[in-house]
Amino acid sequence: MKGTDLQSEPDGDSAPLFGSWPKAYCVALGIFAFEIVLFYAFTVVFS
Amino acid sequence: MNQLDYVVLIATILAIPLYGLWRTRGRETLGHYIKGDESIRWATIGLSVLATQAGPITFLSMPGQAYESGIGFVQNYFGQPFALITVCAVFVPIFQRLKVYTAYEYLGQRFDQKTRLLGAFLFLIQRGLAAGITIYAPAIILSALLGWRLNLTIWLAGGLVVAYTAFGGTKIVSITQRYQILIIFVGMALAFIIAVHRLPAGLSFGRALTVAGGMGKLQAVDFSLDPDRRYTFWSGIFGGFFLALSYFGADQSQVQRYLAGGSLTASRFGLLFNAVVKVPMQFLILLLGAMVFLFYQFEEPPIYFNRPAYDRAIALGHGAELNELQAEFDDVFARKRDLLSLSGVSSASRQEILQLDAKARELRDRAKAVLERAGASPKSKDSDYVFITFVLQHLPHGVVGLLIAVILCATMSATAATLNALGSTSAVDFYRPLIRPNAPDHHYVVATELLTIAWGLVAIGVASYASLVENLIETGNILGSIFYGSILGLFLVAFFLRSVRGSAVFFAALLAQCLVLILFWTLSISYLWYNLIGCAAVLVFSLALQRTIFAKSSPA
Repeated sequence: MKGTDLQSEPDGDSAPLFGSWPKAYCVALGIFAFEIVLFYAFTVVFS
Repeated sequence: MNQLDYVVLIATILAIPLYGLWRTRGRETLGHYIKGDESIRWATIGLSVLATQAGPITFLSMPGQAYESGIGFVQNYFGQPFALITVCAVFVPIFQRLKVYTAYEYLGQRFDQKTRLLGAFLFLIQRGLAAGITIYAPAIILSALLGWRLNLTIWLAGGLVVAYTAFGGTKIVSITQRYQILIIFVGMALAFIIAVHRLPAGLSFGRALTVAGGMGKLQAVDFSLDPDRRYTFWSGIFGGFFLALSYFGADQSQVQRYLAGGSLTASRFGLLFNAVVKVPMQFLILLLGAMVFLFYQFEEPPIYFNRPAYDRAIALGHGAELNELQAEFDDVFARKRDLLSLSGVSSASRQEILQLDAKARELRDRAKAVLERAGASPKSKDSDYVFITFVLQHLPHGVVGLLIAVILCATMSATAATLNALGSTSAVDFYRPLIRPNAPDHHYVVATELLTIAWGLVAIGVASYASLVENLIETGNILGSIFYGSILGLFLVAFFLRSVRGSAVFFAALLAQCLVLILFWTLSISYLWYNLIGCAAVLVFSLALQRTIFAKSSPA
């Protein structure tokens, strides 16, 4: 069994709304980055 | 608690499992019992993953953590979004494509049977013990403050979970977790609103945040590279990533949640939902703790929140000493409150307020030392009693019952996921291949139900004897860190080191686990490091063994 062969995307599998899974991951990371910016702004304003 | 509280509490904790039982009635196949059916959508998976991780400790300890040290603890979760995306991209497609019931089944397909059994065995030991701690931790706190009998609390919470988890399998766990986490959200939101509402008139929410920030409680992000700082952005990103990857990638209690339903898209969306929601949720829980801290700047807090332990010390003859500390604490509190009421945290008063706050903390530490000398020291940190004391003493009736239900819902949802995983792993990875290989499907469903009940009894047994364990709440994390590294190492070798075969990785994992146990007994480093050490050791040892002792078994 070659484990890494299994990591390729299944045929025809795409992320609804985003087009592809890498794009969906980038959107999730973008939202997380925005959260960090908000937390940092919160720290600066209130500390 | 009054009758209204008990009505709300009992109705909440019984209604959800009863609804779940109704939704999952009827006979099932093993596939449905372990992985649920296609009616489980991504939102249910997302909430289920969230509920599995957010155990009772999250809701009891986190606000107390912020009360003591501020909200910087949120940085510990910063590695999670990266880990969840890694799991989405690497782990989930493999598990879904092979249609495995458990993560360890994949190890059997990639390596051999003994490696699969080793991974499953390490998981069973770690989670079997941790399930007991999950039940015991809230039970000891609730029984102490509410006067409930400890064993009765353990059996009521544990027994209910065992019954519905064994009956309904993964589908009931997912359905009940969806509603339990919603109850938790509502309860915590109400507590937050009431905490803000109970602040003195004239102290707006914005000004309250300024005061809490001025007292050092609102530093959410710290980019410092100082290794002595306990929580920083960098330690959260790197340490948190590794811990979360172990947890979400190699722990069956989580793997079973996101494999529920059997759709790759639903699994991935459920995990991505957690990647964006988990950190803000922890932030808000910690912010609630900061609001409770602020509330207790104007309403006098007890010098020691665990009142039963405090009363035991008085009964043991340390009353005079504690009364003296209490009088000094009262004086410090009054001076601090007057300063805050007069000017908030202005540049002129800030230094004095911080000094008084440090003095109050010192008095609390001295009270704790008295309790320890008296032999009345409890098994959990006093900060774990902060939030529940606030709930019991300052929230209106009805809401108190709801918040106790929140704690029990969190206990039940985390325990149900664990028991479900323990029963499934025992049946699929041990019972089916080793004891009854070719039985009808229904036989395995019954076997999984019985094994889930057996693990439930083990968990309740561990909970009944958990009082023998010192520093109770840390114990769950330590157990995880000791075993997670080796388990994750097995999966990383499987995914990324294609030349390594079964025997090499099997003995590498055994050696790595022995190394971690030896280091654990001989060194005094932070337990989080054992994740990294265990995983790295499996990778290095397996490569070394494959190229030396097991070189002949390498693929051509």
